[in-house]
Amino acid sequence: MFVIKKRKQTWFLVALMSLMLLLVACSNDEESSSDTEGNSNTEQSTTSSDNTSAESTGDGLSGTLEIQYFVGGYGDGWWKQVIGDFQKQHPDLEIVEHAGPNINTEMNTRWISETPPDVVYIDGAGASETQMIAEGQLMDISEFAKGIKLENGTALLDSFISPAEEVDGGKIYSLPLVFDTWGTWYDTKWFEENGWEVPTDFDSWISSMEKIKADTKIAPFVTTGQHTQYFHRGVLNPAFAAAGGEELLNDLNDGVVEAWKKPETLEVLKKVEKIAKAGVIDSGFAAYNHTQSQMNFLMHKNAYIPVGFWLPNEMKNDTPDSFEFGFTPTPMNDPGQPLALVPDIRTIAIAEKAKNPEAAKAFLEFIFTEEYAQAFAESTGAIMNMKDVDLSANTNVQDFLKNINEMINNPGAVHTYKRYTPDAEVQKISVEITNEIKLLIIDILLGEITAEEFVDKMVKKAEELRK
Amino acid sequence: MTFSSKSKYLFLAFCLLPTFLLFLIFTVYPMLGGLYYSFFDWSGTSANKTFIGLDNYIRLWNDSIIKKAIINDFFFVFVKIIGIMTLALFFAVALTQLKIKEAPFYRIVFFFPNIMSVVVIGILWQFIYDPNMGIVNSLLNQVGLTEWARPWLGDKTWVLPSIAIPAIWAGIGLFMLLIMGGISNVPKSLYEAADIDGASEWQQFWHITVPLVWPQIKTSILYIIITSLNGSFVLVQVMTGGGPGSASEVMGSYLYQRAFEDFQFGYGAAIGVLILVVSLITVLISQFILKKEKVEY
Repeated sequence: MFVIKKRKQTWFLVALMSLMLLLVACSNDEESSSDTEGNSNTEQSTTSSDNTSAESTGDGLSGTLEIQYFVGGYGDGWWKQVIGDFQKQHPDLEIVEHAGPNINTEMNTRWISETPPDVVYIDGAGASETQMIAEGQLMDISEFAKGIKLENGTALLDSFISPAEEVDGGKIYSLPLVFDTWGTWYDTKWFEENGWEVPTDFDSWISSMEKIKADTKIAPFVTTGQHTQYFHRGVLNPAFAAAGGEELLNDLNDGVVEAWKKPETLEVLKKVEKIAKAGVIDSGFAAYNHTQSQMNFLMHKNAYIPVGFWLPNEMKNDTPDSFEFGFTPTPMNDPGQPLALVPDIRTIAIAEKAKNPEAAKAFLEFIFTEEYAQAFAESTGAIMNMKDVDLSANTNVQDFLKNINEMINNPGAVHTYKRYTPDAEVQKISVEITNEIKLLIIDILLGEITAEEFVDKMVKKAEELRK
Repeated sequence: MTFSSKSKYLFLAFCLLPTFLLFLIFTVYPMLGGLYYSFFDWSGTSANKTFIGLDNYIRLWNDSIIKKAIINDFFFVFVKIIGIMTLALFFAVALTQLKIKEAPFYRIVFFFPNIMSVVVIGILWQFIYDPNMGIVNSLLNQVGLTEWARPWLGDKTWVLPSIAIPAIWAGIGLFMLLIMGGISNVPKSLYEAADIDGASEWQQFWHITVPLVWPQIKTSILYIIITSLNGSFVLVQVMTGGGPGSASEVMGSYLYQRAFEDFQFGYGAAIGVLILVVSLITVLISQFILKKEKVEY
């Protein structure tokens, strides 16, 4: 009797332990518990939302609205403010935020299992709008987008600095929210102190770098060798655009063989070769990641660095007080030609399988206002993709941002060229082309290959991919 | 009270079952999953999967970067084996047989890098190698050897040896302890007898210590091989991301790039299967080469 009882007890214990272990092992992560921001039922919003409280409350939006947004160089202050105001306008709506620097990886399983959030801001590592469109994960909002009007009555689609992208024969899958762009940064104060002039074309850029090198003995140019897409987007793309316009820019990145054979393309690579030969590149660049190269730049170990608009915000805790950010579209153009700017637009979209598309659409409509565009410039150091927002009077916006905003709204000295989203088939080619370019950038900047060799290898790669 | 064989089996099951279940769930299932996904064209971010059979493997066969990655992986394996085994053996013998007073202190100090997170080690050594403010270049400049100062992690020739050094440094401790354990099991009388016979320290080492500690040495070498082929990924990813270009790319870092940055998860899974196959073959060959009868005097 005693033995049987003992056996039963032991079996029970074994079963219980196994069950517990199974449960622990197999439990799915509750998404809200892994959010860095958590539920935001009770929104602690900022106070600068006086205008919106004047609007009618209680649109009747109910249910849950899930918003996924990446938090990186732009921070999350703007998002908190906007979402807070939206919540105030729709008190019956339960808004769940999914945010953080790794949010795309964290939310990946939601997208794979086809239970995505309603709204997604597409930015950060692990996010690719091209991929999402190719996989059919984004909702076709063409009709909805065409009907959105701003407060002053103009159509939203006409108010973008960089227009909404139409793919697949005229369909709109996302709204371009952030006008980010790549360019070359420098320290305005330091340049003024030393009497260095900001270059406006390639020749003046090279002579500027040679002068800085002679004056200070530093290596004037630095870029991150670990992430050569910075050089690709910050220097090569504007150079391609300046040399051959949007067509050349897009054809080269899409791996069109004839584009790589063009003489203008070789000219661009010859300019890069010239930079390498001039001995103005930091000798350790190949090892640096983005933060290291940026830190060196801030500490005046270098004078020029190609990065996007998020640079001041990303490095705000490490920027010396005497440092003043200056920005110029990367001067790879020939003298007499306008500077080339290739925007890197960050978009916001609605998931195809969104559970609350009505609330999602209302949110998208809600965020495109002049007020929020001003707030965006203040808190992120970047520009929201809206035309004719006058930042000059805003004391909270840094000067470099005001300057670029002016430049964009008054074209002449600066010309904007768009890098289009390739369709699914071309996208695969484009990925491989990008990978090859990234490798060859290291070689040419280290002086190991010539411009001709760069182009030859790209032609071979393009031919291989386009077979 | 004697235990019936039934309750003995029950006890064994109780001990083994939970771990076995965890093993199945966290090791076997992902392995099979990886194998499964390697036959698909899948981005890793959506529900769309297309079966493509062996296409990923054909692509792997023609991939030039993979060939470089495999060579780099084996570079790390060889350098680590030689570096770690030499130093671990030396330290083990030194701490057990040279009668150093501070031996326990050194044991702790040498083992310390093993318990540091590999990521921390990677970042630490990144700073050590920094061309402007790192210790290595500063020392070289101070001593007057400025021509030797270079961007260690940014130089295609020097990046692999540069990464190998922290890999060795971090690995010594564990194997040193393992060999020390083996040495302490060697009867002292053998050494005394050898002394009486006039054998030098060096001869004692080669003819007594090494043969008797051979099982530990063999285990260490196999362990280094296995963890290198799988684990060099961490140091490479943290310190150089596979760069400059693809100079320090290893199979693991290339897998990461393909699966998580290029949205080619199926291809990444194929690389994972390759790592498994390469590891298995290498270990089998090593077992064969290192085979030695257990020596007993």
